[in-house]
Amino acid sequence: MSELAVHFEGVTKQYPLFTLDHIDLALPAGCVMGFIGANGAGKSTTIRILMGLVHQDRGAVHVLGHAMPREQVAAKLDIGFVSEDTRLYRAATLAWHMEFIRSVFPRWDQAYAQQLLRRFDLRPEQKIKGLSHGQRVKAALLLALARRPRLLVLDEPTTGLDPVARREVLGELMAVLADEERTILFSSHNTLDVEQISDRIVFIDRGRIMDADDKDVFLDRWRRLRLVMPPDAAVPRLPGIVEVGGSPRLPVLTTNHFDTAMVSLCQETGATVQAVDCMTLEEIFLASVQNRREGQPA
Amino acid sequence: MNTSMVRRLILKDWYLNRWMLLGSIPAGLISLGIILTGNKAAFLLGVILLVMIAVGVGAQLVMETTLYERREQTLAFVMSLPVSWREYTAAKIVANLVLFLLPWAALLAGALALILFAPGVPHGFVPYVVIMAVEVLVSICLIVATALISESQGWTTAAILMATLGINGFGYYVAHNASIATGLWGSSIHWTATVSVLLLAEFAMIGLTLGLTFLIQSRRTDCL
Repeated sequence: MSELAVHFEGVTKQYPLFTLDHIDLALPAGCVMGFIGANGAGKSTTIRILMGLVHQDRGAVHVLGHAMPREQVAAKLDIGFVSEDTRLYRAATLAWHMEFIRSVFPRWDQAYAQQLLRRFDLRPEQKIKGLSHGQRVKAALLLALARRPRLLVLDEPTTGLDPVARREVLGELMAVLADEERTILFSSHNTLDVEQISDRIVFIDRGRIMDADDKDVFLDRWRRLRLVMPPDAAVPRLPGIVEVGGSPRLPVLTTNHFDTAMVSLCQETGATVQAVDCMTLEEIFLASVQNRREGQPA
Repeated sequence: MNTSMVRRLILKDWYLNRWMLLGSIPAGLISLGIILTGNKAAFLLGVILLVMIAVGVGAQLVMETTLYERREQTLAFVMSLPVSWREYTAAKIVANLVLFLLPWAALLAGALALILFAPGVPHGFVPYVVIMAVEVLVSICLIVATALISESQGWTTAAILMATLGINGFGYYVAHNASIATGLWGSSIHWTATVSVLLLAEFAMIGLTLGLTFLIQSRRTDCL
């Protein structure tokens, strides 16, 4: 088994109106994990526990080999963290922030910081209050990346950006990520963002992990089967079907464990398989959430 | 305790608030200048201005370094650094105390110089001024404690109001305390036992307030 950068075992955190319930999470070193959930699903709470900013009630958390929250200071020396609610000091310049971070992190790479300044089209002498939201996100990313962290934690970094700025930030982020191998936890409710940069996917909903797998495996095992049923024939009951939509005559079956044998099984019941459609990550996420919520009402 | 990180956080607060802190010193000296004019109305106005500047700069410093850090969402940035909540709390307490001591000491020195060297000002004022200056320090520590523990602008504003009223009430009490009032208008400094007891009580209050604040904040498990 490869080294784990992040390891959650049975982590629980209880609030009056929300419970993060028995979270098990394993992020291997060198992997980019997309952490997807609706607003209020528990992504930020999970990440705050990962950073030692919130203490879990039960369970064990290890980040880069450090037990959290006890060893958070040592762990955070190797973590770059940018969250939706991270803001820089408005009255200070980006150059001051760079100098401040440089004084804290011994691995700060000034040459790389200069390279990122050019790539992100940022001017160090500019005060933070004069930057657009997109530029502020880029500035925060620069400060996180140039410290050369072993683990990069991005909690909804593209939230609140207009489509142009979002594309710009993601494009730059992907270009930066292509430079070298990094371990990244990227949380978002925007599946398109996650799909672009992740190689492993985790779904979270209502404080529980719903599913976790490699992105390619995820995309491979989810399919929609469009059938045409003969008159008076029942929709075939197959294992691994999470949703049956469409009409009795033209049913659409959604499966999370697709196998080519399913097509033969459908045909054996007299159905005509019109199409086997691949699904986008967003469709998979929505189907997962719907399936879970139907099985377990809030 | 990661003291180098605590020191960096204190220097950060100094950098971000340096103009306000430095600006308060000439403003306070102007108040002392008003007192120097010798006019009774000017004297009262100068004293009121001086207290307002001292409490105002301390209260603003507390707001900027604690509440606004949370409101402006820079707390997440700071807490992403290799620092624990305990160290963050220590940095905030020390920063507020040490940074406030700069204008406080400058204004106290100015006030004492005025009493000792300006013609016609009774030297008997010295103990009273020292007690009241330390009382301002006590008030600022109470405001720091309220801001850090409550994290609420409302509670902190209430603490500022209470502190201001408290200073006035305490000043009235001290000025009318028999053992202090006797020597107040005299030409020599009367350092009585009451003065020492009051000063000791004030310093004990500062230690207790800040110590309890650190203890309470250190036990918190969630900082965001």
